[in-house]
Amino acid sequence: MISDSMAEVLRLLQLDDGFDAAAEVAVRAAETLGVDGLTVSLATGGEQAELVWCTDEAAGQFEDLQFTLGEGPGPDAVRAGAMVLVPDLAQVRAGRWPALTTESGALAVCAVFCFPMAIGAIRVGVLTVVRRTVGPLTDAQIGDAQVLAHALTGRALGATVLDQDKAPLLHAVVHQATGMVSVQLDLPLPQALLRLRAHAYSSGRPLLDISRDVVARRLRLDLNGNGDGNPLPVSDKD
Amino acid sequence: MAREQQLTQVFVEVADSLIDDFDLIDFLQRLSERCVELLDVAACGVLLADEHDVLQVLAASDEDTRLLELFALQNNQGPCVECYRSGQPRTNINLTDPGVAEAWPQFTPEARQSGFVSTNAIPMRLRGKVIGALGLFQTIDRDLSEADTALAQALADVATIAILQQRTLAHSETERSQLQYALTSRIVLEQVKGILAERWHVTTDEAFAAFRAYARAHHHQLSVLARRIADGEFDTAQIPRTAHH
Repeated sequence: MISDSMAEVLRLLQLDDGFDAAAEVAVRAAETLGVDGLTVSLATGGEQAELVWCTDEAAGQFEDLQFTLGEGPGPDAVRAGAMVLVPDLAQVRAGRWPALTTESGALAVCAVFCFPMAIGAIRVGVLTVVRRTVGPLTDAQIGDAQVLAHALTGRALGATVLDQDKAPLLHAVVHQATGMVSVQLDLPLPQALLRLRAHAYSSGRPLLDISRDVVARRLRLDLNGNGDGNPLPVSDKD
Repeated sequence: MAREQQLTQVFVEVADSLIDDFDLIDFLQRLSERCVELLDVAACGVLLADEHDVLQVLAASDEDTRLLELFALQNNQGPCVECYRSGQPRTNINLTDPGVAEAWPQFTPEARQSGFVSTNAIPMRLRGKVIGALGLFQTIDRDLSEADTALAQALADVATIAILQQRTLAHSETERSQLQYALTSRIVLEQVKGILAERWHVTTDEAFAAFRAYARAHHHQLSVLARRIADGEFDTAQIPRTAHH
């Protein structure tokens, strides 16, 4: 269960309509998680990432460093789709992130925790929190951070309604349909999921139903020429 | 085969896997198949709770999408979610009982439609905490005995151990990270089923059968190969399109 203060952060996040205006939300989130700095980086394709939230200079520098070097808990978390928790950077096994360990020594970062923003192979980015002191996050803080990362994933994928949308993502068929649409329209997986969502929205039908139709090949989404995110036409059933 | 002999085989198989570089989803799927044989049930599924305390399907005795969906339905109702919340096994639940249908109005008719008449749920425990549940379905009127339930619990514990033993791409040491890696792997696998089904013009179930046969024959971890395919780093033309068992 998430904490009351994280629930409040998520509420603020819902009200806010863009990553730019989210500075205060980020600060509140860092307070809630009991950390000194918080960053959010969005994957921009390849190994690159774009810093969109940054509450603290050292945290931002650490994040830049990991993605410049292409190694560290952040890139690992993104690659695997699983959180990487480092309660004491000085204790990291030699050779795990050799360049990062050398370069980050000058930064006031002693502990770092990275939470992937992802839906399976759809990698959206990473939420990173840092501390100037050594020590683990509590179980409750980890839970809060995971839920925040999940909410940010939804935002980055253009869903303001991810909360209601939580249930369909439990169903294998939605992920299967995402894969199918990505091949049909020659789109990366994130855009394929957006297409499915857009179609569900414009047709007023649940994402789960749309996905079932796609997987059963009763429905085939169309790219609709310019791919500008407009409601999609539906080709004839086959 | 005598049950004792079956048990010995399962024990050897589990030990073999856990000391080796094994794929969790594949392991749990095989374990689910063994549950079906050993407990004489029709279907078995392994469900793991996510960060929202919602149960997600990790593996099932049959990868058939319909069965996966039936387990997915249990995210908010049914014996698995009750077992997860209470930490207690729920055994021999009669799906033809009107009271049961009333308690779980979505889940019960779906399960009945799939031909199931009774169901059981066994908690997956980790140091006093419940992390998921094993779901068992029966198509004939046969109760699990006390010995069956104890065996089911042992198999559920093996599933938990396997989740904590898997080697992840993040080389993560923490349990929370292991659980998340397992859930992510499952989603990637579903996305890849869709990709392959569309490339090959087959059903997602057929695509998975061919994919798994290839991965097993070439000693690829399912989860790792699936990630490579999703990232466009593996030429899927190498995979024969029909499964050879």
